[in-house]
This record gives sequence, C-alpha cells and structure tokens, in this order.
Amino acid sequence: MSAGETMTGMNALTIRLQDEMFALEATHVREILDPVPITRVPNAGDFVGGLINVRGSVVPLADLRVSFGMQRPPADADTRIVVMEIDLDGEPLVAGILADKVYDVTDITAASIEDAPKVGMRWPAEYVRGIGRRGEDFVIIPDMNRIIRAEGDRNSSLASTERTDR
Amino acid sequence: MSELDPAEVFRQEAADLIETLEQALLDLEKRPDDSELVGLAFRALHTLKGSGAMFGFTAVSEFIHEFETAFDRVRKGEATADRRLIAAALEARDHVAQLIDDPDCDPERGTAILSALKAAVCEGAGVETGASEHLAAPIVETGSAQPVAAGWHVCFRLPADALILGTNPLLLLDELRSLGPCDVTADTSALPPIDFIEPQSCYLSWDVTLKAGVSREAVDDVFLFVRDDMELSIEAIASESPVAAAIMAPVIAETTTVIEAAQPMAAASEASAPKPKAAAASSDRANAAKSERNATLRVPAERLDELMDRVGELVIAQARLSQLAEAIHDPSLVNVAEEIERLTASLRDTTMGTRMVPIGTLFGRFRRLVHDLSEELGKPISFVTEGEDTELDKTVIEQLADPLVHLIRNSIDHGMEPPEKRAETGKAATGTLRLAASHRGAEVAITVSDDGAGLNAERIRRRAEEAGLLSVGQVISEGELNRMIFQPGFSTASEVTALSGRGVGMDVVKKTIDGLRGSIDVDTTPGKGTTVTLRLPLTLAIIDGLLVRVGEDRYTIPLAAVEECLELPTGVAADGRGRSFLNLRGDLVPFLKLRDLFHTEGEVDPYQKVVVVSSDNTRVGLVVDQIIGNNQTVIKQLSRLHSGVKTFSGATILGDGTVALILDVMHLVAYGQKLEERRRAETLGRAA
Amino acid sequence: MSKTILMVDDSASVRQMVGMTLKQAGYSVVEACDGQEALQKATANRVDAVITDLNMPGMDGLTFIRQYRASPASSGVPIVFLTTESDEGLKAQAKQAGATGWMVKPFKPDQLLAIMRKVAGA
Repeated sequence: MSAGETMTGMNALTIRLQDEMFALEATHVREILDPVPITRVPNAGDFVGGLINVRGSVVPLADLRVSFGMQRPPADADTRIVVMEIDLDGEPLVAGILADKVYDVTDITAASIEDAPKVGMRWPAEYVRGIGRRGEDFVIIPDMNRIIRAEGDRNSSLASTERTDR
Repeated sequence: MSELDPAEVFRQEAADLIETLEQALLDLEKRPDDSELVGLAFRALHTLKGSGAMFGFTAVSEFIHEFETAFDRVRKGEATADRRLIAAALEARDHVAQLIDDPDCDPERGTAILSALKAAVCEGAGVETGASEHLAAPIVETGSAQPVAAGWHVCFRLPADALILGTNPLLLLDELRSLGPCDVTADTSALPPIDFIEPQSCYLSWDVTLKAGVSREAVDDVFLFVRDDMELSIEAIASESPVAAAIMAPVIAETTTVIEAAQPMAAASEASAPKPKAAAASSDRANAAKSERNATLRVPAERLDELMDRVGELVIAQARLSQLAEAIHDPSLVNVAEEIERLTASLRDTTMGTRMVPIGTLFGRFRRLVHDLSEELGKPISFVTEGEDTELDKTVIEQLADPLVHLIRNSIDHGMEPPEKRAETGKAATGTLRLAASHRGAEVAITVSDDGAGLNAERIRRRAEEAGLLSVGQVISEGELNRMIFQPGFSTASEVTALSGRGVGMDVVKKTIDGLRGSIDVDTTPGKGTTVTLRLPLTLAIIDGLLVRVGEDRYTIPLAAVEECLELPTGVAADGRGRSFLNLRGDLVPFLKLRDLFHTEGEVDPYQKVVVVSSDNTRVGLVVDQIIGNNQTVIKQLSRLHSGVKTFSGATILGDGTVALILDVMHLVAYGQKLEERRRAETLGRAA
Repeated sequence: MSKTILMVDDSASVRQMVGMTLKQAGYSVVEACDGQEALQKATANRVDAVITDLNMPGMDGLTFIRQYRASPASSGVPIVFLTTESDEGLKAQAKQAGATGWMVKPFKPDQLLAIMRKVAGA
C-alpha cells in the first residue's frame, strides 16, 4: 500500500494458503463452498484456470497461491472455495477464491496492522495491503483488487490462441 | 416507477415523442392535408413542451414553444405542410433532440431553424409571426398594480350548479380566511321552502369583510376559477371606521351557525352520488375497451436480463431433476419431472418472447435517413418497408441499427443511379429501396434491396486487387467476390462521399453481423439492382449446442455452425502442432486437434471424431474424442478475468451441474484460416 | 382519510411529477393515461378531485370531462384541467363541459398544491 494511506481495521475471514494465514474482507464474502467440480479453462493461465457453478452462475475460480508463488497441492478434506464479490473499477466481480483451509471470522484492529515491508518478503510486496497480527500469528492482508487486475491483465495478454501456436 | 429519476423518465418519454413527431412529419410530407397527422405532430410537441418545462428542460420547452407556434398555423389551416416546411420542421425536431442532451447547444442554430420554420409557414401569406407571447404564462393573470387597501369587502354568489361542478364554497371561505381575519355573513334569502330545496344546488351568497391589507390580486385569485360565472364584487375598505366595525359585530354570531349548516349540505351532495351500482357496470365496459388497447409496460432491460438468467438456472435445475428422476425410476417422480420440464420450456419461451421487439421500431428510424439522403443527392426514392412485425431479440435489434444505416446509405449513394441516368435506361425516375424482414426457421432474414445499377464485378475485383484483398487472377465465386465489399480496407478514400465518409465502412456491417452470429449474402444483377440479405439467430440467450468431449473435458459447439461430423480417417498425419488438413470431397479443410490446442492430458480415444464447422463459408474441422449429443445451451458470459481467452464465446451449465465452455467458432475458423495461409506460404517457400 | 386525486395525462413524466408531489402532500393518487381509462377509474372509485390534460390520444380531455359529468359519480367532484396555451376558447369549452378550474402548464409543485388546496381542500 502506498505511503500515507493507513489501513482501517477490518472484519476478516481468515484462511490458510499453504503455510500462511490470509485475511479476506468478510463483508465481501458471499458464501463458503465445499470443493465443487472445476472446469478447466484452457490457455487461461494458472491464476484463473477454472470455472465453477455457483447456484447457476458461472464463476471464475482464482488461486491466490499462484500470485504468491506457492505450491499447489491437490484439494484435501480442508479445501474450501470462498465466493467473494470484489469491486473492480466500479463493477462488481464475483469470483471464487481457493483456500487450503478456512478458519473463522475475526476483527483485526487498525492498531495491529502494519505496512508490508518493502523488502525481505517472499512474495510480491504490491500484492500485500498490510500485515495484521492475530495473537502470535501474522496475517497477510492481500490486495485483492490489485492482484486481480494484474493477473487479469497477464491473462489477457497471454491467453490468445497465438500462445498455443508455438 | 416512482423511484426512477423524473428527468430520466422525461428523457425516455421525450425519445418516444420525438420519434412520433418525426414519423408524423414524414407521413405529412406525403399526405399534407391529413389533419390527423397534423394533430399527432402537434400533440407530440405540446406534451414535450409541457413536461419539458416541468422537469427543468427550459431550453427545450422554450424552443418547442416557438416551434409549436409556427406549427399551429398548419393546424389552423393557415399554412400547408409543404416540403420546405417539413424539412424545416425535421431540422427543428433534430434540434429538440440535441437540446434534451445539451440545453446549451448551439443557440444560434436554434434561432436559425426557427426563422426558417417561420418563413416556411408564412410563405405566400405574407403574415409575419410576431414575437410570441412569453412562455411561462403565470398562473395568476396579474392586473395592474393597485394601492394596497386596509381590507376588502367581498360579496359573492355562486351559480346554482357550482356544488355539482366541484366548487366548494367552504374552501373559498377558507382561502379568504387564510389571507387574514374575516367576518363572514351568509345571505340565506334565496333559500326556497324546504320542500323545494335541491340538495345539490347552491342558494346562498356570502358577504365577507377581510381585515387584512392584502393585494387585490390575492383576493381575485381566490375566485380565479369561478369569477366568470358568478356574482362577485370586491371593494376596498379605505380605513377601518369604528362605525363599520360596530355594524359588523352583531352579524358575526349569526355567521358561524350558517356556515355550520352549509357543512352537512356538502356532505349530502357527496352521499347522494350513487357509487357501487353504476361503477360496476361502467367498469366492465371500460375493461373491455381497455383490453382492446395494446397495454404495454416499461421494464428496465436489466430486469429482463435477470429474468432470463433465472429461467436459465431453472432450465439447468430442471435438467438435473430429469436426470435424477430417470435414475431413480419412480413413476410419480418421473411424472412430476416431465411436468416441470414442460412448464420450464414454456416459461423459457415466454421469457424469451418478452425480450422480442418488432423490428418496425428500427425500420422507422431509417425513413428519415432515406429522406435526407434522397434530398441531398437529388435522387427521388420511394422507401418501402415490409415485415415490421417481425420480432427479434432487443439486443440484436439495437446492434442492427448501424449495419443497416451503412447498407441503406450504400444503396442510395452507390447503387441508385441519378434520375437522368435511370430515364436513359428506361427505369422509373424514382428509385425503390426496400427494407424487409421475415422469419426463416430459427433465423430472421433482413433484406435491403434497391433497383439501382447493381454491383460492378469488374470494379470490385479491381479494387479488391488494389487493396491486396485478392491476388491478381485469383479465382473466386461470384458470392465471395460480392462479399468483398464488406472486407475491411475495401472502401477507398476516393469513393467516400460527403455522406458515406464517416470514417467507417461496410466492414462494420460484417463485424457486427459476425458478432451476432449471423451471415451476409449479396445478390446482384447488373442494371437491375442489388439485394443484401442479413441472416440472424432469433436470440442470443439460449442456443442449441453440440456437446463434445475432449479428454476429460466437455465443450459445447453452437449447432448452427456445425456442418457435419465424421470419423477422423486414420493415417491423416497431424504435424504435432495441432494442425493439419483433411480432404473433404476434394476440398482441403484444415483441422485443429482440440486436444493439442487445449493442452489436454489423458488417454486419446482411438477413434477420433471431426466436427466440421463453418463460419462465413469457410470451414474448419475440430478433432474431438467423442461426440456426446445435442443440448439446449443457456449462454453465460465469461467474466472479465477471462476476457483475454478468445477461443471461447461463453460457458454453459450442463445437466449434472458442471460448467462447459462454448467454443467460439468464428475465432477458431479464423485461426484455421491463418494456418492454411501459413501452409501455403511455407509450400511456396519450399518450392522457391 | 386522505383525499384521492385522479391524475389523467398521457405523459408519464407529468403523471409522475404530479403523483409524487401530491403523495408527498398526503393525497392518494390514481393515474390514468387517457380519457377512456380515466372515465373507468373515475366512475369505479370515489375520487375527491380530478386533474386532467386536455390534449390526449384516444379520448381527449374535453370528451372525458363531458362524459364524466354525465355520470352521477362526478357530482361535487372538482375537475382541474391542464392547458399549455392560454387559449381562452379552450378554457371556455372546458368550463362549459363541466370543469371546475384549470392550471397552466408548466407549473411548479407548489402551484399544483395551491390549486389542489383550492379545489379539494388539504
């Protein structure tokens, strides 16, 4: 997040991705699903490589682990899909977010949130809005808009059929 | 409705009124004496003016006021709706439309249009339209200013039928009281004996002393609606003399009782109105009359889209139910499932029907275009439309506007010969442009035909060769050659006239029609004319699809694009890059192995199938593992996250609830074509 | 009990504006878009006042006023007509037909309310 911009506290849904805890804006969460059949979208890139059926709507499934350069083990008993409504340039976008585990809803106070360190992080700093604290644990607050915009753009530039024409 | 922004409601309504006005003006040109048309145009202006002023579109209503004043001369038979007047009125109509969008736009132009209009209505008669009266007529006609008096002495008697006609004397008295303290005396001398009293008649008169220094107008205003028919005297009281007050004093007591007496009388008049019986009978009558009228309802488009989505979900849920019912084999469940299936199908059809709009709404817009082009190019044209009732999905209709403008423009600009030339070739001086629509199966065909010179094959070939769209001497079919006019880059600058030169060419037509999954055909006879036929699917929301399997994944191909299905002959070598060619009855058809294109893993079916699809008369084979069968496909748009994925035009939800992608045939064909060109280039390269 | 006003105009925007203004002032409003519909609604329900445009497709305002006045249901019900022109002839015709008062378009909400208070009371 840019200097000077302070994060207010948030009501967060905490999830696990690989070994890290992430906080998603709870007010944007529509529902949490058990794993459902995923339809692969060929040539769409790994971040949004799938589509799911959420009550009759076709919803893209995003895998934040791709954005954060994590490993992607197959789904297990803890795997969930968090369906969120994200405001993207003024238009609501409904997307599923893959989670290795969903913990609970919790308040993260503004005081406990720190800016993401510019260096020394394993992941792209621009994707992190801040680091919250929950007891002994650190919680990563991802910048969903920025991630989706960046990954979406990458997807647009790569995923033409020309890509397959190597 | 009430939560909508009033200005927006006005804009919507204004658009309709402007349309009505335009149609009336265009019809009027043909039938200048038709007073009904004049009335129609006048009414449209009138309503626009009135509501415009109320919703703050002052510039609009001021302009229309002048417009209306000029046009009123036509209504009164003082001017004729000749061509000049219609032309001026049409320009004024355009200006109104502009003013609604931007109230500050071009006031000079507005003035110029109005003077042209005035000149047109005054032509010959030599009558000068004087400066018209100020628009915002005040609600109260103000008299000359008078010195404010200390008070007023008001005497009034209402006509006998005043109560029946809705005038309530109590309200008049209340209003006088609201101006200041009043002494009221009722004069009961005209009351007949009780047996002769008509309960609804007004026999009383009143004498009021208003003790307040209000203006004469304010007092006048109380009687605004009744003063023409009543006895009324209003006299100023110069100063309150003690004598007058003394005279008044004893009267006051009497006053109140009389007023109280008047109350039940008014109540009686209400009660005496027979309600239920008459109401029932007349409401039946009115209902019958109402059902004859075509009642319509304005519904926001997104609500229809939502409804369509819900129905789409229902179709999917119903498919799942049918599948389950079949698996469980319970006859009563199967019965219910079948009934639900029937209901769903009819609900789907009804819903799709609500999105259908008669194409006449679109055709109407072109009359103006033809009129203007005909004037400007000096080519008299009779414009004929057919099949206005033909219905198409609203979104399709909206997108058709631009392509049709180009086709019509092209026909008139390039197809139609000037009248002299037509005379030479023995044709009627007036050309005919026909715009027609009709249903053909699951498609709608829209034709634009002219009786002009026809396309010149030689010139098209020359231009196509110049533009590099065609290699010199290349053999192509007549249809293909004619369709060249829709290729981007075909239209050259030298050909652009003032009218067609808007920086967009006929390629817009092709692009739009392709986007709507439609097709274009051109039929031309030199010297006789040209017909362009657009074929469009009825709806964009639900299509028939062919479900196929590639590896573990299932995909849907729009059935309309499928030409044939065959087994992939063994021994046809793929080159490992997902492309190769198939000899289809002598034609070399490129085929794409979807497994390779989609990086599909898993076992390859030993008997691969080819689905031959076509777009724009070009074919490409799609190699799949299995052809599963036909299915009803509710099209769901892909989200913005997948906007870059061009191979798929959308997705659908299958009976088992999984999502299947819909192949974008146009894109795949274009891709196949590119491969074909590359192969040719490579072959040539090797030969060199 | 609030007074019921029947509003007759072919322009949806005028109906909306009048409707909103009157409802805010505590009146109930019934709408009709031409004379035919107005006649049906005015005779099927008891209304306390009628506001009608004169210039309408189908049955125009004058015809509506005449036919409504021919019905006993109209007894004592004030009818206010809307007019854009200050055409005295038309005004006279409408009064002849049985109108109680008139209102010159365009009008502002408070003018409308003043007229309604005048003919129908608060």
